[in-house]
Amino acid sequence: MLDFFKKQLRGKRKGQKVASGPGKKQPLTVVNLKPVRPEPGSGSPQPELKRKILVVGKGHTFSAGFMDYAINLAARLDYDLIALNVNPALKASGKFFSPYFLRLRQKFTQQARAAWASIAEDLEFSGIHGQQVVKFGEVARAVEDLSAEIKRIDFVITDAGIKDEEITGEIPLPVFSITGYQGEKIMAPEPVSRKPWGKTITFGAVTAALYAAVFLNGSSVMKYFTRGGWYAALPIATVFVISFVHGAFAHHLWSALGIEAVKRVQPRPEAKRPVPRKRPRPELRLNT
Amino acid sequence: MHDIAAEAVNFIDLNLVSVGFLFIVGFIGGLVSGFIGSGGAFVLTPGMMSLGVPAAVAVASNMCHKFPKALVGAYKRYKYGQVDIKLGLVMAASAGVGVQVGIKIQEMVLARWGQAGSNLYVSLSFVVVLVVVGGYVFWDAWRTSRRGGEEQVTSLAKYLQKIHLPPMMHFKTANVYISMWFTIPIGFATGMLAATIAVGGFIGVPGMIYVLGASGLVSSATELVIAFVMGFGGTVKWAIGGMVDIRLTLIILAGSLLGVQLGAIGTTYVKEHMIKIVMGTIMIIVAVSRGLAIPKYLKELGLISMNNTVLTVLGVASFITMCLALGIGAVIILGTMWQAKKAEAAQKAEYALEKTYG
Repeated sequence: MLDFFKKQLRGKRKGQKVASGPGKKQPLTVVNLKPVRPEPGSGSPQPELKRKILVVGKGHTFSAGFMDYAINLAARLDYDLIALNVNPALKASGKFFSPYFLRLRQKFTQQARAAWASIAEDLEFSGIHGQQVVKFGEVARAVEDLSAEIKRIDFVITDAGIKDEEITGEIPLPVFSITGYQGEKIMAPEPVSRKPWGKTITFGAVTAALYAAVFLNGSSVMKYFTRGGWYAALPIATVFVISFVHGAFAHHLWSALGIEAVKRVQPRPEAKRPVPRKRPRPELRLNT
Repeated sequence: MHDIAAEAVNFIDLNLVSVGFLFIVGFIGGLVSGFIGSGGAFVLTPGMMSLGVPAAVAVASNMCHKFPKALVGAYKRYKYGQVDIKLGLVMAASAGVGVQVGIKIQEMVLARWGQAGSNLYVSLSFVVVLVVVGGYVFWDAWRTSRRGGEEQVTSLAKYLQKIHLPPMMHFKTANVYISMWFTIPIGFATGMLAATIAVGGFIGVPGMIYVLGASGLVSSATELVIAFVMGFGGTVKWAIGGMVDIRLTLIILAGSLLGVQLGAIGTTYVKEHMIKIVMGTIMIIVAVSRGLAIPKYLKELGLISMNNTVLTVLGVASFITMCLALGIGAVIILGTMWQAKKAEAAQKAEYALEKTYG
């Protein structure tokens, strides 16, 4: 059961993707992540006795890829899942608290509860106990408070929207974060490319207009373009203009049809540095 | 002179068939030159002439379409990091000299042996150069593909790169450090061949690969820079003479700008030795085509006697073979692109499956 998690940690120590947090040099001890097994003969484990994973997100919902990952991890480790939705924008500032803020808080809580409903279904399907907490304030503070309120939280996983510096502080727990700008982007690496049909049509229309201008005035065009001497600039300028407009049309047409260069075969010298490959799965990053 | 040219160009009547022919040949020629750095001209010029365009106008209009096409292709491939601009400009400078010398030789041949002699000289140059160089390129491509597609720098290039003969030049993208004196003959030969058979790339690209030690990708992309510079220079010369039929140029350009970008994109789909395979194949077929035209010129010079019907058949066969060379090149390029695209789609599907169930 723990094999998967041990592997993940071992991978980190080999330096495949090193965390940038302050605790990155300290070796991880797998011992303190070991779930507590119920004593033999004590029957089925009580939900509150189980160890827990705390997942933290800044919005009212979590990115789908992130939540899938957390649920899979909880299922494999036989942990419970605590989901914390934090909204730092609605933290209490001073003594005064406006009804408008209160209204916003209520709205956020409602949205979070609604979003939780579908996650709860997934949790139920996977046989995991889950609980949702909504807090307003700094992320680090909220996590700290929660770890005091709810016992047996073993580690924290933060959603992609949370920056490293937001979660550093006096958190007495290992914090892992999902690398990447957005969790979904890591989970679904194929980019949703927008087809540039608009540009194709625009440049196509301009190209067509230029061609029409030349061919509808064929006789006068030919008269001046073939005069020679300085008139030589006319055909040369024309082909330059056409190569730009029609070239742009052709470029957008091929990319709209889905025909695009697949890779940079011959990187230029400045681009020769090895580019880190985007991993198809989200990664855990230790940031204690 | 200008008036005559104007009359000559005005004389051509464009119809749907000729427009369609020029557009399609332009597209296929563009596709091939986007992929291997040159090509298309050897079909376009005789093709236009067979439509009734005077030889000088055909050459001028073809030249005028060549440089914007090369510009777009070079820009596209520069974005993929394949173009060595410095190498291209150095080669183009010496190629300019080569063109002038090539033209002088042509004029000498023309003065001494007449039009038939000149044609024979051109055809013989085609056959000799293309069979020797094309044969070697094809053999090398076949060898590379047997090795699993891994390109190797020739021992000649390695030897020349070791010779320290100032001024030494560093071509960064090509990753070649070589004396300028070894680039000059390659550029010169490219220019001479361009002046003789109108396709300098058939010697420029293999020269850059086997003599200088650049990769097939960089060589074919850099050839587009040479083609741009030379095409631009040639166009200025022809346009000052008033020989460019802008309508013909624009029709060819309509097809070739589409083709050249597709060809450039194609280079990112395939293994590097595919460029050599396409190039070698086209060169050998073109050599066969020009070989078929030789008996006609030999007869005109009175060196052999032959039935006129046979000569006509040979002439037609020669032109068809020429079109075939371009067509086969295009089929190979599109075929490999199609396969690569299919493989990519299969990989994506597999990944999606893994994501769903894994």
